[in-house]
Amino acid sequence: MITSLQGPWSPSLGRLSLSAIPHNPIITGAFFFAAIFAVLVVGYVTYSGKWGYLWREWLTTVDHKKIGVMYILVGLIMLFRGFVDALMMRTQQMLADGPHSSGFLGAAHGYLVPYHFDQVYSAHGTIMILFAATPILVGIMNVVVPLQIGARDMAFPYLNALGLWLTSVGAGLIMFSLFLGDFSHAGWVGLTPLTELAYSPGVGTDYWMWAIQIASVGTTLGAANLIATIVKMRAPGMTWGRVPIFTWTALSTNIIALTSFPVLGVSLGLLGLDRYFGTHFFTAGMGGNLMLYANLFWIWGHPEVYFVILPAFGMMSEIIPTFSEKALFGYITMVAASFAIAGLSWSVWLHHFFTMGAGPDVNTFFSIATMVVGIPTGVKVFNWAFTVYRGRSRFETPMMWAVGALFMLLLGGLTGMMLAMPPVNYSVHNSVFVVAHFHTMLMVVVYGILGGISYWFPKVFGFKLNEALGKRFFWYFTAGTIMVFIPMYTSGFMGMTRRLDYIANPHLLPFEVAEELGILLYSVSIYYFVRQLYVSLRDRNESRVGADAWGTARTLEWLTPSPVPFYNFAVTPHVNARDELVWRRERGLDESVPVRYEDIPMPKNTSVPLVIGALAFALGFGLVWRIWWLTDMSFLGIIVVVIARSFVRNTDYVVKASEVERIERSGGGAISLEPSPSRP
Amino acid sequence: MRLWVRRAIPIPLLLLAGCSSNEISRQFVLFRPAGPLSGADLHFTVLDVGVMLGIIIPTAIVTAFFLLRYRKTNAKAVYDPKWSHSNRIELVVWAIPLLTVGMLGYYSYKGTFEVNPYNPRMIKTVSTGADAVSHTLNVDVITTDWQWLFIYPKQHIATANELVIPAGTVVDFRLTSATVVNDFFIPNLAGMIDVMPGMRTKQILIADKLGQYRGYSANFSGGGFSWMGFNTKVVTESQFHQWVQKVGQSPHHMNYAKFNVFAKPTKNMDGKTDHFSGVSAGLFDRVIKAVMMGKVYPTPLPAYGKM
Repeated sequence: MITSLQGPWSPSLGRLSLSAIPHNPIITGAFFFAAIFAVLVVGYVTYSGKWGYLWREWLTTVDHKKIGVMYILVGLIMLFRGFVDALMMRTQQMLADGPHSSGFLGAAHGYLVPYHFDQVYSAHGTIMILFAATPILVGIMNVVVPLQIGARDMAFPYLNALGLWLTSVGAGLIMFSLFLGDFSHAGWVGLTPLTELAYSPGVGTDYWMWAIQIASVGTTLGAANLIATIVKMRAPGMTWGRVPIFTWTALSTNIIALTSFPVLGVSLGLLGLDRYFGTHFFTAGMGGNLMLYANLFWIWGHPEVYFVILPAFGMMSEIIPTFSEKALFGYITMVAASFAIAGLSWSVWLHHFFTMGAGPDVNTFFSIATMVVGIPTGVKVFNWAFTVYRGRSRFETPMMWAVGALFMLLLGGLTGMMLAMPPVNYSVHNSVFVVAHFHTMLMVVVYGILGGISYWFPKVFGFKLNEALGKRFFWYFTAGTIMVFIPMYTSGFMGMTRRLDYIANPHLLPFEVAEELGILLYSVSIYYFVRQLYVSLRDRNESRVGADAWGTARTLEWLTPSPVPFYNFAVTPHVNARDELVWRRERGLDESVPVRYEDIPMPKNTSVPLVIGALAFALGFGLVWRIWWLTDMSFLGIIVVVIARSFVRNTDYVVKASEVERIERSGGGAISLEPSPSRP
Repeated sequence: MRLWVRRAIPIPLLLLAGCSSNEISRQFVLFRPAGPLSGADLHFTVLDVGVMLGIIIPTAIVTAFFLLRYRKTNAKAVYDPKWSHSNRIELVVWAIPLLTVGMLGYYSYKGTFEVNPYNPRMIKTVSTGADAVSHTLNVDVITTDWQWLFIYPKQHIATANELVIPAGTVVDFRLTSATVVNDFFIPNLAGMIDVMPGMRTKQILIADKLGQYRGYSANFSGGGFSWMGFNTKVVTESQFHQWVQKVGQSPHHMNYAKFNVFAKPTKNMDGKTDHFSGVSAGLFDRVIKAVMMGKVYPTPLPAYGKM
C-alpha cells in the first residue's frame, strides 16, 4: 500500500468485508425492491424462453436503433433512481427544519444522518447528469441521427455497442454502491480536498470516481462515432445546407463531448493518483492546489451542461416546425447559434466559482463571457416564436413538451443572467437559488427529452403513445416543477444554502412543505408516464402508424417505414431539399416504392462489447475495493479481448436484394416487440 | 382522498399565517441589507432583474400570443408554410439580446469592482465621505471541521462560532481553512467568499445597522456543515470595547497546540460559542503554513453499518 488506509485490507478481498454491507432499513428496503424486480425480470425472461431472443436481438446487437433504445432504457431507470434520491432529500429537508424538529432512525433531525444525506444528494446529481440525461440524449441521437441523414448504421457499429456497455457499467457501479459500501458524500462535482483520502476515507469517492471514469470513456467513443457518422455517412444530395437541425445540434454537441470528456478523465485520473498513490495534485498541502481541480472539473463541466442542452434545443427545433406545419424560421441562424453556444461553452467555466476570490478583472471577463451565451440562446427563442408565427399549431404531446421547454428556458434565462453578474452571484452563489436555476435549465433538457421520446417513439416502435395519458403526465409534471422550484427560488432569497441536512431557520418550513407537495405531484406524473407506456403497449394495434407518424413531419427519418427495418432504408434515398419529406410530399413522391432493390451490407452482431463491459465492471469493482489481483486480471483481459477482436476480419454480412424486397413487402420492422425472422 | 387533500392544503398557509408579515419579510435576508456591500448586491439584483424582465415578459407574451393566434383550429389566421426567413427580423432578434448583454455587461463590470471583497469601491467611497472611517478592525477567520474561529489579532482575543463587530468601522477579514473549503457568508452584510485551506482570501466590509445577523458556511464541507453557523452581533463602538475587555478576561487561551485540539472534527449541533484570551500572535499564519506543509485533520472512517 502506497497510501495509508483507515480500516482493514487483505490481498484476496482488498477492503471488502462483511461489514461493508450497510445495515439501514432504507437501504435494506431498496435492496429488497431491487431484488424482487430483478427476480421478476429474470423469471419472466426464463418463463417465456426469451434468453436467446434477448442475447441475439439486444445484448449482442450493433443496430444503432436498438443500442439507442437500450441507452434510453438505462437512462430512464437511472432517472427513476435519481428521482427517488430527490424524494428522499425533499422529505429530509421538510422533516429536519428548525431546532425542535424530531429525528428518526438515529438521526438528530429528520430521518437521514448527515453522512447518508450527503451521499443521497451526491448520487442524485451524479446520476441525473451523467447517467440519466447523458445516456438518454446519446440514445436519442443514436436512434435519430443515422435515420435523419439516410445512413444504414453508425460509422462504427461495434464501437457504438462498446459505448453503451461502458456507460451501463458506470450506472451499474453506482447502483452497486448502494448495497455494498457507500457512495461519495462530496457532491456530484467532487469538491476537493473533501474527496481526498484524509476527508473521504471510505470507498464512496472511489465508486463515484470510477463510475464516471468508465462511463465517460463510453461517451467519448460515442461522440467520435457520431461525428464520423454525420461527417462521412450522409445520403447523396445531403449537402451541409440540407442537414436537419437536430443532426446539426448533435454534431455541435458531440464536438463538445469529444473535446471536453478527456479533461474530465484527466482530472479524475489525477484525483485517483492522489487517492491511490499519495500524490498531491489537489490536496491543500505539499504543493497541491485544490482550485486546480475546480478549474479542470468545470472546464469539462460547463461544456457538459451545453452537451445536454444543445440536443434538447435540436429536438425542440424539430418538434415545433412539425406541429406548426411550417418550416423552421432562420435555419442558418439556428445552426450558427448552436455552434456559437458550443464554442462559448469553453470560455465560461469560472462562473461556477466566482466566489473563489479571483480579482475583479477575471470575474468581469467570465461574467461577460457568460452573458454572451445569452445572445445565441435568445436568438433561438425568437426563432421558435417566429416558426409558430403564421403556422398552424397543433398541441399534441410532443408540442406540449417543446412549448414547456421554451417557457422553462425563459425562466432559466432570467435567473441565469442574474447569476452571471458577480455582485448578484456573491449573494446567491451557493444557495438553493442556484439549485433552482440549474434545475430550471435541466428541465429544458428533460422537457426536450420527453418531447423527443414521444415524438420519435412511433418511428422506432411503429405505434403512438397514448395522447390523453401523455397530456396528463405533462400537466402533473409541470405542476410539480412549479411547486418545487418556485419555493426553492424564494428560499434562496431567504439565504438558504445548498446541501443542508438540517435547516436551522424554522421560517423555511412552509417552503419545504410546498416543495414536498411538488415532488408528490412529480410522483403522480411518473405514475401516468408508466401507465401511458402500459396502455400504449396494450393498445398498440389500434395506434399503428405509417412512415410519417404525425402527418406533417419534415425530415428524412419519416420516409422509411415505422418501425424502421434493421437496414433503415431499402434503397439509400437521394436528398433534394432541406425539408426532404416536404419536398417529396409536394411532388407526391413520399410513398413511392423503389424500382429495384439492391444487396445491403450490414454489420454482424458481436458479443465482444458486452465481454469488455463485464471486464470493465470487474476492473471498476476491483479498483474501488483495492483488490489488486482482480484489477490486474480484468485489465489484462480487456487488452487481450481488444487485440483479439482486431484480428477478426469477417464482421459484415450481406442482405440479399430478394430478402430486402420480401421484408419491404411484408412491412416487417426491426424493433417489433416479437422476435424478428432470424438473420445470419 | 378528497378530504385528505382538503386537509393538507391549508397546512403551509397556516404556517405562514403563524408568523407576522414583518417577521416574514425579515426572513428575506437578501432584501434587508445592513451594510453597503449587501446594499450594492441588492441594487444590482434589482437592476438585472428589471432589465431582463423587460425582455422576457414581452417575449413570453408574444410567444404565447403566436401559439394561440396561429393554432390549427383558428381558421381566420394567416397560414404561410414557406415563410422561414426575414433579414429584418433576423437583425432584430440578434440586436435585442446583443444590446441587453451590452448593458448588463457594463453593470456587471461596475458591480464587480464595487463589491470586490479585497478592495470594494463601495467602502472607499464611504471612507472618503463626510464621516470618514478612521481605523480598521482586523479579524482573522479560520474554519475547521466544522467550527469557526474568529481571531482579533490586535486585541489578542478570539471567539468560536460568534462574531462581534462595531458598526461604522471597516472590518478587514483574512480567511483560511484548516481542513476543507468553506464559504464565509453573512447575507445581511456581504456576499460569499470561499475559505480555502493553505490559502488566504479576504473580505472587507462595513456594517451600518446595529443588530444580530446570521452568518454561516455556504460551501459544503462534510458531516457537520449544516450546523456551521455563527451569530454576528453589530454593536456600537463603546459596546465593542467593553466586549473586548470582557473577552480579554476569559480563562481560556488559544495557541497552536490548543488550536489542534479545537480543530478535531466537531459537529456543533448545540450552537456552542467560546471566548479565548491571550491568543498567540501569528496563529493565522501558522495554521496556513502548517496546512501548506501537509497538515491534515482527518475524518474518521464512517462505519458503513451506521449510515
